[in-house]
Amino acid sequence: MIEVLKLEKRLGDFRLSDISFNVAEGEYFVLLGRSGSGKTQLLELLAGITLPDSGTIKMDGRDITWLRPQHRNTGMVFQDFAVFPHLNTFDNIAYPLRTRKIPESEIRSRVTTIAGGMNIGHLLFRQTGTLSGGELQRTALARTLVIAPRLLLLDEPLASIDASLKDDISAILRNLNRAGQTIIHVTHDYPEALGLATKVGVIHNGRMIQKGTPGEVFDRPLNRFVARYTGIRNFFRVKYVKEGNHWIGVTAGGLRLKLDGGKYASEGIIVIRNRNVRLMTEPNVETTWDNTLEGKIVNIIPAPYGLEIEISAGERIFAFVSERSRLITGLKEGSVVRFSMQPADLVSLEGSNLHDSD
Amino acid sequence: MARVKGDIFRWVMLFLSSMILLFIIAPLAGMALKTGRNEFFGTIADSDVRNSVWYTLRISFTATIVFAGGAIPLAWIMARKRFPGRKVIQGIIDLPVVIPHTAAGIALLGLISRDGIAGQAASVLGLNLVNNPAGTALAMAFVSLPFLVNAARDGFASVPEKLEKAALSLGASRSRVFFTISLPLAWRNIVSGLVMMFARGMSEFGAVVIVAYHPMTAPVMIYERFSSFGLSYARPLSLLFVLVALVIFILFRMISLERRVKKTSEADD
Repeated sequence: MIEVLKLEKRLGDFRLSDISFNVAEGEYFVLLGRSGSGKTQLLELLAGITLPDSGTIKMDGRDITWLRPQHRNTGMVFQDFAVFPHLNTFDNIAYPLRTRKIPESEIRSRVTTIAGGMNIGHLLFRQTGTLSGGELQRTALARTLVIAPRLLLLDEPLASIDASLKDDISAILRNLNRAGQTIIHVTHDYPEALGLATKVGVIHNGRMIQKGTPGEVFDRPLNRFVARYTGIRNFFRVKYVKEGNHWIGVTAGGLRLKLDGGKYASEGIIVIRNRNVRLMTEPNVETTWDNTLEGKIVNIIPAPYGLEIEISAGERIFAFVSERSRLITGLKEGSVVRFSMQPADLVSLEGSNLHDSD
Repeated sequence: MARVKGDIFRWVMLFLSSMILLFIIAPLAGMALKTGRNEFFGTIADSDVRNSVWYTLRISFTATIVFAGGAIPLAWIMARKRFPGRKVIQGIIDLPVVIPHTAAGIALLGLISRDGIAGQAASVLGLNLVNNPAGTALAMAFVSLPFLVNAARDGFASVPEKLEKAALSLGASRSRVFFTISLPLAWRNIVSGLVMMFARGMSEFGAVVIVAYHPMTAPVMIYERFSSFGLSYARPLSLLFVLVALVIFILFRMISLERRVKKTSEADD
């Protein structure tokens, strides 16, 4: 539905370069990037608020690169909502309709309908200064959706909302998408992306460095930046050596990690997700698992839904356990644990990616 | 000891501040006290005086409204656009405040007299700008424009750009964004600038007296009465005009204060 090809834009010292991606009808595309990575600028280019230096944006096959925002059929919701403070909720939602010179009676019915759907029907004649973050976000969404845009652009839609209301807004967005709304959503928060996206793009220093399904991006990060971005803490710089039929990655600290198949360069980086580092609950049982190692717990750090365990075993390794399994196993700082890292879970980042800074 | 020191500091600050306030209040209060009731009401009864005060208010009001048509767009450009020479333009806008107003009057007279470009253009239309209400209005506007431009510029600058972008993304044209978002949100500052421009314009003497001695504005009439008949004759008219200015100023303060109170109480809901 939307095709972006080689989009370039210079903004002062910063530049968006070589941005290309497609979003199909009904997809929920999440663009992940830190603040300053250029993701808001990209949305503004898509919405037509700013124009690119070069490249093309096509919607339904039609070139819209140089069209004014009002001729694009996109709708954008801004970070911090950008609800007009001098207008009440009704007039905010009616704004794009009045711009389109729609008769006042139709405006009334459309605003009322969409406000009802967003659960803000009772707030229509309130001054927006008195609304909560969640209510403002619903107003901003209603204001954008009232014109039924083909493509909905969301800039950090959950960032300025109380944690307790995030689920509400997420549910609204998910339902919209299920009803067929194509969405591009930018965020710096990868769990948010996981929960909503059907497709993910990672943007860094003005470039799109990886895109794919959430599974592809999070399980097979292309480089160190993407890996770290998706919450991976275990990075090992290794030299690859071949032993018999399989490859081994040897870390600077002397760990020897058996790898799955493939062909490897001379050196690279191996990553493994915290939750794939498996702690053995019964230390003395023989195991046939590959890469079974032993180390000492140096730190136990509370994390969402459990605990992060930092183990010293030649390298620093981060594992994840639930609070419940820690209670059962009685792990504490100073205890010695055995753990295993399955070859299939070890992801190697190679070649030029090695130099990709974060 | 420290406490005594602190007290001295406070008293010194208080004393110096009071001297400044006294400096503003004393001459005005003195003028009011020295003006006899009969003289004052006699002056109000004088139709020349009343006409002159009305004329001054009317011309300053007209000048403010007419020039706002260009001053507000200029303020918007200064707030929103970055371009080379922007600082120079800001300097030019502030120029009327720093130059002597008599010099401003001389410069303006050169422009609007029969030899000047504007004067020639006007004479084609059968208009003589010198000693004409239009000349008075130009002189008032020349010296008071910076108050409006700068206040409006601050107003536009305080409107978050994101709101303008949001309006664009919702399909509004640039002019619609200006009239429905930027202008209403900068309105308080603009009104304040309009009032300051109006007040400054009606009080102007230096530039006005050179460009248009007649029809006589109130400040020119005060000067004429003073130079022809002396202090006591000029005083009642001065007092009257100061009171008119004060009433306008207080009314404006009340209106803007009321709006602010309303706004904060809404935010407290």
